[in-house]
Amino acid sequence: MSSKLKAMLAFALLTMSIGTLSLAQADKRLVVPDLDWTGAIVTERTIQYVLENEMGYKIKKPTMPGGPGVWEAMRAGDVDYYSEVWPSYNPIKSEILEEYGGDGSLKIIADTGIIGASGYWTPRYVVEGDSSRGIKAVAPNLKTVQDLNQYKHLFKSLESGDRGNLIGCPTPAWLCEDQARLDALGVDFHVQGLGSETAHWAELTAKHKRGEPFVAYAWSPHWIFAALDLVEVKLPEYDEAKWPATNWAQDICFKMGNPKFIEDHPDVVKVLQNHRLTNAQQAVMIYEIDVNKRDVDEVVNEWMVANKSIWRSWLP
Amino acid sequence: MSTVIEDQRDTLLHKFWEEHRGLVLTCAALVISLAVWKIHGTETVFPKSWIEVFPFADKVNEFDKWIRPFIQPTTRAIGAGVTWFYELVVDWLTFTQWQIVFVILVLPAFAYGGLRLGLLAVFAVGSWLVLDMWDAAMETLSLMTISIAISVMIGVLIGIVASQNDRFETIIKPILDTMQTLPAFIYLIPAFYLFGLGAPGAILATVIYALPPVVRLTNLGIRQVPAGIDEAATSFGATKIQSLVKVKIPMAMPAIKLGINQTVMMALALVVLATFIAAPGLGDIVLRGMMRLNVGKALEGGLAIVLMAIVLDRITNAMGQAEQTSGSRHDHVFRLFPQGFEQVKPILYIEYGIDWAWRQISRAGNLVTLVIVTGICKLATIYNSEISVKLREILLAYSFLIASIALITVMMLLDTHTDIFGNFPRAWEHRFRTPVNQYMDELVTNEVFYGITTWIKESLYFGLINPLNTFLKGLPWWYTSLIFICIARLISGRGLAIATAIGFLFIGATDLWILGMITLSTVTVSVLICFIVGVPLGILAAYNRTVDALLKPVLDTMQTMPVFVYLVPVIMLFGGGQIPAVIATVIYALPPLVRCTTLGIRELPEEINEVASSFGSSTTQTLTKVKIPMAIPAIMVGINQGIMMALAMEVITPLIGGKGLGMDVFTGMNTASFGISLQAGIGIVMLAIILDRISQAWTKSQREAMGLT
Repeated sequence: MSSKLKAMLAFALLTMSIGTLSLAQADKRLVVPDLDWTGAIVTERTIQYVLENEMGYKIKKPTMPGGPGVWEAMRAGDVDYYSEVWPSYNPIKSEILEEYGGDGSLKIIADTGIIGASGYWTPRYVVEGDSSRGIKAVAPNLKTVQDLNQYKHLFKSLESGDRGNLIGCPTPAWLCEDQARLDALGVDFHVQGLGSETAHWAELTAKHKRGEPFVAYAWSPHWIFAALDLVEVKLPEYDEAKWPATNWAQDICFKMGNPKFIEDHPDVVKVLQNHRLTNAQQAVMIYEIDVNKRDVDEVVNEWMVANKSIWRSWLP
Repeated sequence: MSTVIEDQRDTLLHKFWEEHRGLVLTCAALVISLAVWKIHGTETVFPKSWIEVFPFADKVNEFDKWIRPFIQPTTRAIGAGVTWFYELVVDWLTFTQWQIVFVILVLPAFAYGGLRLGLLAVFAVGSWLVLDMWDAAMETLSLMTISIAISVMIGVLIGIVASQNDRFETIIKPILDTMQTLPAFIYLIPAFYLFGLGAPGAILATVIYALPPVVRLTNLGIRQVPAGIDEAATSFGATKIQSLVKVKIPMAMPAIKLGINQTVMMALALVVLATFIAAPGLGDIVLRGMMRLNVGKALEGGLAIVLMAIVLDRITNAMGQAEQTSGSRHDHVFRLFPQGFEQVKPILYIEYGIDWAWRQISRAGNLVTLVIVTGICKLATIYNSEISVKLREILLAYSFLIASIALITVMMLLDTHTDIFGNFPRAWEHRFRTPVNQYMDELVTNEVFYGITTWIKESLYFGLINPLNTFLKGLPWWYTSLIFICIARLISGRGLAIATAIGFLFIGATDLWILGMITLSTVTVSVLICFIVGVPLGILAAYNRTVDALLKPVLDTMQTMPVFVYLVPVIMLFGGGQIPAVIATVIYALPPLVRCTTLGIRELPEEINEVASSFGSSTTQTLTKVKIPMAIPAIMVGINQGIMMALAMEVITPLIGGKGLGMDVFTGMNTASFGISLQAGIGIVMLAIILDRISQAWTKSQREAMGLT
């Protein structure tokens, strides 16, 4: 064969393979957002690792805050799926999800394995003291929310006046009803919402660093429990009839997606259905990322390489 | 005899009244208000029945739901078109070898602003490489390119129409006002819903936000062309359109370019904010850093944005003045560092070195151009020697452009045929996030510093914010409205009085009265602090060149640094709530007050100094008795801008616990209720328009009283 012919053949082969590749790529592209809490990103990355490395998907990962924005985007088909929905905090789920009485414009795919718990927390040094930092235990008997009243002077803030101050849910949109809860339980505290999660954690971190007492709303799994040593201030058990004068229900987190995506990508849906991550597994990665400030992809890749047996079972 | 004394007393009283009418009225109003507040006693309640008959948010939501399916196909198609252009630009910028993009980005700076601006551009573009933010910066630049192109095209067109048609102008003006003051958060979510997530939504929201200055300044520029010139053109037989295109628009170019400059700055601000609807780019880095409380990372992203803003501002500014400056491009030795540094030998050598290198490069560039031009002209001579001479003249006027094209072509050829261009070396990348984070940690636990911030926080809260909050919330709603209506009537006229009445009624009827009052008190306190801090700084800068030189980059940074960068430090140092909201607002709204004060004092005619000193007044006396009073109108412009910026911040500060109308904008955004967001946003717009018009009318009357107009 002459060299010219060889070159032509090689060229033809190349164009053909590029052509088929790009054809294949067209329906191997997904858009999945990076939401604004690390847990969601970690959960998502473990799924993406499988889709990208084992199944040849290419995934675009725009950053956006969680909440209705994502739901609207998914409904419009801009986003394909969303891998960590916390049912308690999504007021518009009843408009969109069939399972919650909505119009079915989005569909639930499967659980994530993460079980969320919310509640009120205070630093351990408030209850037990911290001799290494020279902090005395100022509220040794603080166990339940009702105990807060006897210590309310400790938790005063500028805006709370004589009442204690509880750093509540950051935004009213989450329907936490902190003030209603405290009022119903007879706790003479003022609830301060800091407006955004960022502000919430920033305030807690700063107060903890300075060794000041505080009571604050928090949820797990979350890096804050790795960064700060907190103890729970117990609320009454969850009871739907008495809400909001009780603790939150457990949040069985789930994944949901756009119906068209579910129809078009059965293989991805299979992975989403098989995929499970426990709180403990997620927490290890969250700690590395948020407390040790390491790169997300680096941490997740490391975990995936070390836990091959776990994610092998996720494959379709 | 007694009548004379009485007469004298009368005239004295009269004179006092004439001179201090404003002060007397203000004091009286304050005393009465305090009395009313004391008698009223409780927090004011807007009548429930009025709120019930005005279900604004619900109606808006219904309408929103109903109309979306009808317009979405069209808007999505527009979005897809915009995305196509965006991807074209961003792919080119990110896939092209970085050295080539680098050169293309810095060349305009050298062309329009000479060596100094060029070096600044090299520094800025280099910083994106060094900070490992190249791709993000390219994404931001692409978003900017597309949104500015659309804004300028549409804006100039609307501006031209408005300049030709008075009725159109009166229709468009309030719309522009609303576009400029309506918090962008309100339309971010609808924008992405209609046009698509990420780039298309971001670009079209940016167009809405950044359009007004171009329209306004195009309109103004064309209208300001003297009538005589238009007449001259028509008397030479030009039609109306010819006169417009050939005479008026070219004469309005400086104004249009100023408009473009402002549009560029506004576009950059929104492109960063649009990260909330998943816009890619540098804003994304800042938001991610902020979300993880990684102050250092957010600051790195913020710095990259600040540098981009400063360079874009200087380039577009220089373009506007290109005609005047291009001649004096390189007459004296280049000065990189501020005055006073020339005594230091090493710096002098560096400056000489740069100067020499620049001269050599210029010479080489000219030589290349000459060769190319000669070549082209030689070819042209074959066709027609006369054209060839003309061509040479034309081409030589564009020597910089030709040399640039030559350089880029050579680079591209080298890139495609060799592999001498590698990636940016990893070893050159540097980050400063870790030391920043460590420093932040130390600052948070530093007892002395925390003592200071606590003191500031408490005195602000108990001394200003809290009393004002209770006062404004305690005044009956009808009384507060009446006071504002009276002020509007006295200072401006009936039109503004009616607008004020409507504004306050709207805020009340949408059940936002208390939030509105908190907004009012936050804005008042923030602007007051800006005034107390900003005016002395401005005066200092007007007198002392060094202060001015030091202050300038600080103010530039304050104005262009994305607010998200300093939200986390502010909350860590001051705790959450209304106080950090005020502090963040002060950081944002301070620059115009400082700038306007400096400008106001500097622009006073020189003779004032001479006259004042010939009357024997000292420098301090001249300042306090003559200059400051005469600079009041300029300071008022600063205050006006400060108020507008403080109101704009209202929408950001809820992120760190600020209460007020902005909080409802967020609540609406977080619950997918466009109506809730919109009504709170309109509340802010109404307050903005009322406060803006009142302060503008007051400034105008002051100017007139001084005979400045």
